[in-house]
Amino acid sequence: MMDLFYDAATRIQSRPIMEWKEKGKKVVGYTCSYVPSEVFHAMDILPVRIRGIETESMEIGDAYFGPYICTFPKCILQLAGQGKYTFMDGAIITPGCDSMRRLDECWRKAGETHEGIVPSFFYYFDVPHKTAPHGMKWFTEEINHLISALEKQFDVKLSEDKLRESIHEYNKGRMLLKELEDLRSGKDIVISGKDAFAVTMAGTVMPRNEFTSQLGKLIEDLKKKKPSENDSRKRILVIGSISDDINLIQLIEKENEAVVVAENLCFGVRYEGNEIDETGDPVLALANGYLGESTCPRMYGKYKERLAALKEIIKRANVDGVVMQNIRFCDLHGSENGLFERDLEKEGIPCLRVEREYGPLVETGRLKMRLDAFLERFSS
Amino acid sequence: MRPEIKEYNFDWMLGSILHAAAKTADGSHKEYERLLDYTPYFKGILAPIMDEGKPGITFLKLFSEYVNDIVHSRDQGKKLAMTTFCFSPAIFHALNVVPTTLELLTALGGLMWKRGTFDYLDYSVELGLTETACSAQRGALGAYLGGLATEVDFIVCDTPGVCDTNANSFAFAASYLDKPYYQLNYPQKLADDRTGKYHIDDYKEMIKFLETHTGRKLDLDRLGEVLEEIKKQDKLVADLEDMHQLKPTPIPVIYNLFIYAGRFMYAGLPLYTKLLIEMVEAAKAKAQKGESGLRSGKEKLRAFMCYIDHYTLNTKFWEWLDDHGIAHMGGILSRTFADGDCYLEGLEGSSYKIDTSSMDSMLDSIAQMNARLPMVRSIRGQYDKPNMWLDETLSLVKTFKVDCVLYNGTPGCRNTWGMVKPFAMELEKNGYPTHIMNADAFDDRVESWEATKERLDEFFKVRGLI
Repeated sequence: MMDLFYDAATRIQSRPIMEWKEKGKKVVGYTCSYVPSEVFHAMDILPVRIRGIETESMEIGDAYFGPYICTFPKCILQLAGQGKYTFMDGAIITPGCDSMRRLDECWRKAGETHEGIVPSFFYYFDVPHKTAPHGMKWFTEEINHLISALEKQFDVKLSEDKLRESIHEYNKGRMLLKELEDLRSGKDIVISGKDAFAVTMAGTVMPRNEFTSQLGKLIEDLKKKKPSENDSRKRILVIGSISDDINLIQLIEKENEAVVVAENLCFGVRYEGNEIDETGDPVLALANGYLGESTCPRMYGKYKERLAALKEIIKRANVDGVVMQNIRFCDLHGSENGLFERDLEKEGIPCLRVEREYGPLVETGRLKMRLDAFLERFSS
Repeated sequence: MRPEIKEYNFDWMLGSILHAAAKTADGSHKEYERLLDYTPYFKGILAPIMDEGKPGITFLKLFSEYVNDIVHSRDQGKKLAMTTFCFSPAIFHALNVVPTTLELLTALGGLMWKRGTFDYLDYSVELGLTETACSAQRGALGAYLGGLATEVDFIVCDTPGVCDTNANSFAFAASYLDKPYYQLNYPQKLADDRTGKYHIDDYKEMIKFLETHTGRKLDLDRLGEVLEEIKKQDKLVADLEDMHQLKPTPIPVIYNLFIYAGRFMYAGLPLYTKLLIEMVEAAKAKAQKGESGLRSGKEKLRAFMCYIDHYTLNTKFWEWLDDHGIAHMGGILSRTFADGDCYLEGLEGSSYKIDTSSMDSMLDSIAQMNARLPMVRSIRGQYDKPNMWLDETLSLVKTFKVDCVLYNGTPGCRNTWGMVKPFAMELEKNGYPTHIMNADAFDDRVESWEATKERLDEFFKVRGLI
């Protein structure tokens, strides 16, 4: 079963996506966790989170983006330029941050040279940075505009009932992921951080019903699993910039001295803990769930809420230390990690701040050395 | 940070130097000449400003007063607001709040000190901010974070959705210093009704925040006075822009700095109006004689700065332009985008109108004006969408008969570095040779002036411009 999750988590053109396409169905990619997947699900479109894994060179990314830009959108552009994303019938760009929103122009511009790389449905989804009433109103309207654009492009009609059903299906998955989080962070560890992360990652690209069904089975198996005795591994929480890199988690757990018992990453479970309201207006419910509950640093001025959420995870998962990673040029997470470090270290929680590049772990040696030193710090 | 840097407050040091510099004009010319011998580095900024005569002297006094206001805000019982250059200080002036604009203070440090704000830039990083964060805020911010400047009361910025690294620095400061914080947030479009309504709703919320933290209600009569003064100022800037279209332009290179720095400090106050009146008079005198604003008197080329200027090592960059007979045709900072400006053709919706006839019209005016300040106006959305960076740049380069375009920013500017290559490709396609400078406008250590100069030389030579 884990093979299915690993296939989805580690390959762009994974089996579930390709099987979906073989059925003649549509796939739309999106770049940020603010895009409500339920909308696509309700239209029988597969929403796929766009990623930058499998990147081996950067000549296309570097040709359009400037040098001081995060490598995540550059990797995406590189893959798009190489035709890795031509299976997508649409792409949605979101102003998650400055680097990511400029993917819009760079992708379109690259499309002038690299024919056929820009999907026919190329959409900009304008997410505000605040949850004040006018911010929520704007976001609700944006969701409605997106629905209209999808209906027009793919000649489908979305009903409220259908959308409510999709919200229900996604909530099922959310609750299962929460259960998985409880299992991985419990006293008796029955799943490695790497496996748990692969499952979460798979959830961002797999057809939801299949994912929910497989996840349910996995959880049943895990509940029956006997935990390893006298587990003395250090319990690590991973937070920070965008990361869909299983190898990073693997690196932390490599020597079997540490286990990642929790994470707070936007590709991971950061947003999966909150159920979307299944009663009332479904679009309003999605707006409240996706923006109203948002806790990523792009929502400026909410540091205290985010710190409280982290402390809650640290307590619940009995965390020994926190690895705070950020991709170079990610000022939002990088700076916030500085604040977290100050406030958590003050409370005696060891923290490691690491800046890295996205993509193939070219810095494995350096990162490993720093992680080893970090683990030594609280082993003694 | 070096202990000696901690001996005096950052803002106080800037203020003391400016206070002394502003007195220079009160003495005799001989005294001024002697003074230059004793200020071997500072004269690099003092002399070019003083050389401009009356407007230069007024500009120095304006800057001196501005920093003095910041340093003494608490003694005068006024609230001090930390803010950003693309936020109009008019609302602060209407509420009797003193604004301290980080980018202005960082630029000042870069222009006045050989060491620039290096110590403060690095200190921000020591305290947790990323080294890749924009130097424009990071310089002055280092002093505020380190308690080496007058304590601020609250923080207001308007860059979320426009410039993340800017917004992030202010949010970081609010968390680090535990100060109240308000962020105006701009959608990705500019000119449609839905966006206009968002501007107003958000601005009204911000006024509530300011009223809460100042403990005073917004005085609408005072707001009206401030807005009426801005109307006068915009008219004067428009006069300068009209003259800027002449060939040769009578506008000296450094006037661009005077226009925008004055606006960022004192929009809506008579001090800035006085400066503009003097600038218009001086430029008119040159225009009537058909003289160039360049020191050499010979305009060979007209360059447009599509982003910001370069503020390290005195006025080296502007001098370089001047020495090569290149007229500085302004940038995104120096334009007001008030209704009726000469470059607005084809940019419907990019400008604002000031109407003081009612409370609603005043709030509408100030909210829409704020939304049309540099950066938040045209770098909010995709560069190639209506009213955005490309539209605006093409309109400006046509209006001012520009020969080439220069981009300069900071490595911290994720926003423009994310699109400047395709943007430059479009400008080239439109026939405008475009040079992307790699320098950091506020930190000479990123690329030395010598290297920057060499690349500029190369660009102008290879493209056959000079």
